[in-house]
Amino acid sequence: MQKSRSDDGEDPRGGPSHRDFQPGAWLAGTGPESDIAICTRVRLARNLAGFPFAPSLDDTESERLYAFITDRLAQPGLPVRLNVLDLEPVDELERSMLVERHLISRELASSTRHTGVAYDSRESVAIMINEEDHLRIQVFSSGLQPDEAWARMESLDDTLMQRLPMAWSEEFGFLTSCPTNTGTGLRLSVMLHLPGLVWSEEIDKATNVAQKISLAVRGLYGEGSRALGDFYQVSNQITLGRDESEIQGDVMLAVGRILQWEREVREALLRGAARVKTLDRVHRALGTLERAQILTSEEALGCLSALRFGIHTQLVEGFTAGAVNQALLLSQPAHLQRYTRQTLTPEERDQRRAQMLRELLGCTP
Amino acid sequence: MQYCTACQKAIATIVVMDLSEGSVTGSQHVCAECAELLGVAPAKPPKLPSAMLEDLLGGFKPQKDSKGHSRETPQTECCPGCGMAPAVFRAKGRLGCPRCYTTFRTDLMPLLQRIHESQMHTGRLPSTMSQAPAPIDPQDLSDLRQKLEDAVRGERYEEAAELRDQLRRAELGEAAEGEESN
Ligand SMILES: [Zn+2]
Ligand SMILES: [Zn+2]
Repeated sequence: MQKSRSDDGEDPRGGPSHRDFQPGAWLAGTGPESDIAICTRVRLARNLAGFPFAPSLDDTESERLYAFITDRLAQPGLPVRLNVLDLEPVDELERSMLVERHLISRELASSTRHTGVAYDSRESVAIMINEEDHLRIQVFSSGLQPDEAWARMESLDDTLMQRLPMAWSEEFGFLTSCPTNTGTGLRLSVMLHLPGLVWSEEIDKATNVAQKISLAVRGLYGEGSRALGDFYQVSNQITLGRDESEIQGDVMLAVGRILQWEREVREALLRGAARVKTLDRVHRALGTLERAQILTSEEALGCLSALRFGIHTQLVEGFTAGAVNQALLLSQPAHLQRYTRQTLTPEERDQRRAQMLRELLGCTP
Repeated sequence: MQYCTACQKAIATIVVMDLSEGSVTGSQHVCAECAELLGVAPAKPPKLPSAMLEDLLGGFKPQKDSKGHSRETPQTECCPGCGMAPAVFRAKGRLGCPRCYTTFRTDLMPLLQRIHESQMHTGRLPSTMSQAPAPIDPQDLSDLRQKLEDAVRGERYEEAAELRDQLRRAELGEAAEGEESN
């Protein structure tokens, strides 16, 4: 069995442990439109010719494929240096942390196949191995930067196609396990913070705009239909019959409209009679973060969302967007348990979360 | 009132519009269930529950004729690449290997049309790259792999070693034969 591997010089343990509490570069809170657009993510689904797709692999083939891919990824010459983390020996808590950092999917975390993830030290690139497709390549950029993210993805994909025999055809493009990804295998997602639209109850109209052009809108945090903390992601659904730049155009069209809408609403929330209500909302959230002794994940996300809004609308000072993003990450269950170095019951978690947020935001009395 | 264009059974409650260069170029009326199936509903990622999928593939699943007898499906062979049975593909809506795209083509085409409103790729391909890797016939690879497994099982180790080398070369593509790229 292969151990997690690392290129020269870097932490030989690999994995997230050496930078547990610093978010990846995409959560820096910088980049174009970063008052609303948190991050841009490009994902490609790729499979190797001659192997069954991952869900149909038997154990022997799964091992062979894993060894083959990791061997090719480890060869020098990739546009970015990647460390391969073998997920086999990684425990559940660490896997959950990787999910919370968006480096792997929930599906990969719970997979019984031999899986792994290759990622760089800034966490701006992550390649999942043996997910639903043999390779799920992800590139992250802070703020709204689809061109920059796509350029990095294209050069990475070019290099990978030269060292790995990909399954494709002229007719169907890249062949994927699920027909919903066939063609480009491309999913472009923009993660948006939309407190203005949520607070003014305009959010349904905004998400309808996106859905009407075959885009999906879902919550960034929390499972199911509810978006926690006013965070949403917009992404394309169609991958066949539209090329990469058309797909980007579709997503950017909807994102552009939503950005404009959110800005208009934010201005309205800061004018006239609405202003005092908005101020009240932001300061109540800040007061809760400073004083509360018990904070559920949901309440914490709500307060952090309000604080983030307050920072970007200059209603509060003394906090950075980067610190709020870090707080958002560390509020997640696995990070929280790692931060407090113990397994916690849900009640203990809420207590520790309140304490952690006070420490992190410098509110310790 | 309009029936869902996908399942043609439920009342359509959602209009999915196509957008091109900022203007609406087409629209489709679907029910909430199909909207979710097609991946245009809000909350969840697209799922392909088997019942819905069978609806989508309605024309190809065994159907009762007017006398109540089953009609056979046009595709009855398992995929030679991965052994997936047509019924399994229809139930899961997932392909088992690259060759499944050829094997289950008749079932797949209408499914792709429903999901993407297209059946033809237009984006980039390895063949459009400046340094294009040699195209690989997935059939060759799986045939080779099968032969290799047979050889190992039959304890014909010399043949197996030869096949392993062949397979390795084939996986790299003809272009990379001999010296490995660096
Ligand atoms: Zn329907
Ligand atoms: Zn197959």
